[in-house]
Amino acid sequence: MKWVTWENIGVDRMACGWLIRRWVDPNAEFSFIPRAEKVLPKNGEPFDIPGARYSHHGGHCTFYAIVRENKIEDPILARIAQIVDEADEIQEITVEPAALGLDLICRGIRQISNDDYGAMERGSLIYDALYAQLKLDSVK
Amino acid sequence: MNVTAVTLCMTDWLLLHYKLPTKPSALRVYTWRKLKRLGAVLLHDAVWVLPDLPRTAEQFQWLTAAIEEMGGNAFYWKANTVLGEQDESIIQQFNEQVDVIYSNLLKRIDKPRIDLQEISQQYQQAAAMDFFHSKLGNVLREKLLSKRGEIS
Repeated sequence: MKWVTWENIGVDRMACGWLIRRWVDPNAEFSFIPRAEKVLPKNGEPFDIPGARYSHHGGHCTFYAIVRENKIEDPILARIAQIVDEADEIQEITVEPAALGLDLICRGIRQISNDDYGAMERGSLIYDALYAQLKLDSVK
Repeated sequence: MNVTAVTLCMTDWLLLHYKLPTKPSALRVYTWRKLKRLGAVLLHDAVWVLPDLPRTAEQFQWLTAAIEEMGGNAFYWKANTVLGEQDESIIQQFNEQVDVIYSNLLKRIDKPRIDLQEISQQYQQAAAMDFFHSKLGNVLREKLLSKRGEIS
């Protein structure tokens, strides 16, 4: 399936791309459109675009929405959703110190990548690493 | 004209103006708290302002979407002041906002039996909205670092 989001991806959309490929649609193809295009794209599932089903809702980020809408039950993903929420949405209470660092790193990844495709690939490595370490910590 | 003056004249601003249903009042409180947490400045009780940065631009974008979702209506603009010196007065309001927190923490930091952990958390919260790099913030940062590992 084709998945569409705005160009210049950051912490939330890198997390979403990783989540979609690993848990939702292994054959996902991504395309990146200019920000603020007026209508939601029809040829593909839009994500992290205001007004989309997979977007920010109720103070949660898009990553959270994709986990919830697809009923993926994995405590590690729930934890990553909390981290991405704190990195990408304004939260009154924060409990994940990793959030701000992750946001910074993801912004940096986009800066050092040629395009959004490259940034998505590199971002996946970060989230693979995050998932693996959180999983390890959770069984100890 | 020195470098600082040039940058001050060229600040791009993000403006947010919104209307929410009067009830439930929780929606208004929710939105207001988010704006405060973001470090936005409210001009003349009418328009919320933030400097135009990638992070702030995204936060206003999501807040606009959230306001619409809550049954409200929001206008989100990018803008420049026509009279350059007005930028300085807006920047000053941003600085005052964080300087209040910084100076309060600086007052507390030399007292006996203070909670450095708590002060450093409050410093980080203020620093996240210190868009124009207040000098006082740096003073507090240095002071906090120098306190590290002190026994008495």
